[in-house]
Amino acid sequence: MQIGFKSWMLLAATVAAGLLFTRIPSKAQGGAAAQAQTYRAPRTADGKPNLNGIWQALNEANWDLEAHAASQGPVLALGAQFSVPPGVGVVEGGAIPYKPEALAKKKENFANRTKEDPEVKCYMGGVPRSTYMPYPFQIIQGTGTIMMAYEYAGGVRIINMGKPTEAPVDSWMGWSNGRWEGDTLVIDVTGLNDQTWFDRAGNYHSDALHVVERYTPRSADTLMYEATIEDPNVFTRSWKISMPLYRRVEKNAQILEYKCPEFAEDMLYGHLRKQPSK
Amino acid sequence: MKHLYFAPVCALTIAIVLLSSVNAMGQAKAYTPPKTADGVPDLQGIWSMLTNVPLERPANLGAKEFYTPEELAAQAQRAAAGGRAAAPTQPGTTADVHYDLSQFGLDRGHATVASSNRTSLIVGPEGKVPPLLAEAQKRQQERAAFQREHQWDGPETRPLTERCILWASEGPPMLAPGYNSNLQIVQGPGYVGIMQEMIHDVRIIPTDGRAHLPQGVRQWFGDSRGHWEGNTLVVDTTNFTDRTAFRGSTEKLHVIERFTRTGEETIKYEFTVEDPSAWAKPWSAEINWAKTTGPIFEYACQEANYGMANNLSGARATEKKAAEAANKASQEQQ
Amino acid sequence: MNAKLGTTFMSLALLLIAVPVWAHHAFSAEYDASKPLTLKGKVTKWELVNPHSWIHIDVVGPDGKVTPWMVEGGSPNSLLRNGFTKNSLPAGTEIVVEGYQAKDGANRAVGKDITYSDGKRLFLGGSAPGAGGGENP
Repeated sequence: MQIGFKSWMLLAATVAAGLLFTRIPSKAQGGAAAQAQTYRAPRTADGKPNLNGIWQALNEANWDLEAHAASQGPVLALGAQFSVPPGVGVVEGGAIPYKPEALAKKKENFANRTKEDPEVKCYMGGVPRSTYMPYPFQIIQGTGTIMMAYEYAGGVRIINMGKPTEAPVDSWMGWSNGRWEGDTLVIDVTGLNDQTWFDRAGNYHSDALHVVERYTPRSADTLMYEATIEDPNVFTRSWKISMPLYRRVEKNAQILEYKCPEFAEDMLYGHLRKQPSK
Repeated sequence: MKHLYFAPVCALTIAIVLLSSVNAMGQAKAYTPPKTADGVPDLQGIWSMLTNVPLERPANLGAKEFYTPEELAAQAQRAAAGGRAAAPTQPGTTADVHYDLSQFGLDRGHATVASSNRTSLIVGPEGKVPPLLAEAQKRQQERAAFQREHQWDGPETRPLTERCILWASEGPPMLAPGYNSNLQIVQGPGYVGIMQEMIHDVRIIPTDGRAHLPQGVRQWFGDSRGHWEGNTLVVDTTNFTDRTAFRGSTEKLHVIERFTRTGEETIKYEFTVEDPSAWAKPWSAEINWAKTTGPIFEYACQEANYGMANNLSGARATEKKAAEAANKASQEQQ
Repeated sequence: MNAKLGTTFMSLALLLIAVPVWAHHAFSAEYDASKPLTLKGKVTKWELVNPHSWIHIDVVGPDGKVTPWMVEGGSPNSLLRNGFTKNSLPAGTEIVVEGYQAKDGANRAVGKDITYSDGKRLFLGGSAPGAGGGENP
């Protein structure tokens, strides 16, 4: 049966209308980032992007930032309960660009990780590790100040959202100056000491570490977190990690206490007991 | 039970910025605090909790709860004229084995102290912590006896402050430590965050009316829930561990705090403490806080707690010396 | 007459008010009251950490031998609020430490008073004699 001209016109118009109102997803690199750019976060009462809430990463970055297969954990007695889960990695470009001598130090860290990993000793996670440790953290946006409270070891950062200031001293959680770029919270972190690690695999840095974080709302319940890491003492160039952060949406979500000094006492001081434990 | 002895603590330098004089309670002109963008009273900022008012009223003052303006003025004059300096410690004594607080700016001369006309932080005619109930007292004594015997056995028998678990004053209720007596309040929608300088602990207080944690979940800081009554933030805290032991309290400790902005630079902090296993009746206190310049620097305690290892090492060395001396003595007798 | 409730920033001389003071058990367990010492040396590192800061110095003995010592001090937080920074005590600065030695014989001391070699007091002044009196270790 013949399709009349009018019908073809109608069909063509419909198709054209359809094309006009359809957004074809771009195949540009970083599909998630592209999607994030199209999402506009709700605003707080004072007009800022609303990042308030309890957030947590859901990946294996705390075990090892780089892509890795499953492997035996550091405590044989815990068998498969505490062995290393595999991860596709969060380092853009794949490998962390160590200087050759620094890579040797990383390997040494790995070999000694059950004694040397600050996480074992209940030392605060530093930046960026605190973001992706397997514990939630909470963002409280105040006036001119943002508080980030981490469940692990009660770590906390006060982000200065006013005129940037300089760190007079090094600290575990660093010195944070923040600003808004569109919907993205950008935090410039300096004043980090050389004591923290990036993960349980011994990836480390010096006190020249400089981190720039970007928290971009991706949807109502997700943020994209990116951290650019710079440390001329240890790496040949700056490098970047990125990962989503997920909102803890359960109604009773709450940052609980993980006051861990007592959990680390035996490994730190057991040998000094009256009845030594080792 | 920790060993306590009382010594006069005197300020060394005096910086007087007289903004206005203090008035007895109940006569304050009503102050309307600014509001946050969310429309609740704004408590944000960095505050000093340090006070010159003792928790308990000096015995000689009886039921006198407030100093008169004249008495306060006389105290200020004596202070300006140069109060009695701290008693020098004698070389070779325990008290002398310490760094100098003033050298590090940890003395009161370098702190911000809000004024108050109270004679004691504890309110009411008695002005004292009620006596512990018999069972609670017994428990305190047993703990103290155990402490005396075992205080150097290992980290577990050391005080919570030395273990970097909890500073004695953190509460709730929050009382000022001797130095670094500062806290920072940040308010976001539905939450009030309070960060105490020692030991960088954050109390996150939801104000959305949710229920407390289940009874089986106990925390050093308990579990806090807040709500607004007019211009006052009221915070209810339960779910304490039995090791928090605020002045002999048990896991039944229940604390109600009230935070009211009373001026551009002041907050009135009140608390009521009750524990039917510790005290026959609740008791309450009131403290003025003053805005202070920050920032609050990181007090990372666990991370550089050399003292724990050094103290235990010192204790082992002392024991070893004593054992060697005893051996030598018994050998000489043979 | 009603006076406004306000704030007076002052430090009162607490002539009448007594404040509980913890006995310094911890320090007296770590350091030996019967081993006072005076150390003179060049700063190698200043650790601005809590709960106590540490000044590391190299002490040169009469035989020319260099011995590293570490000297315990107070929390640095108030110093930082008073404008000091991690650069305020540069390596190479010569200081004199009066204090007490560690009980376990290590080259560690608590610094009761610290001065530059010209006698000027380190960090903050204050004419207070005596080292103790605080509410915390």
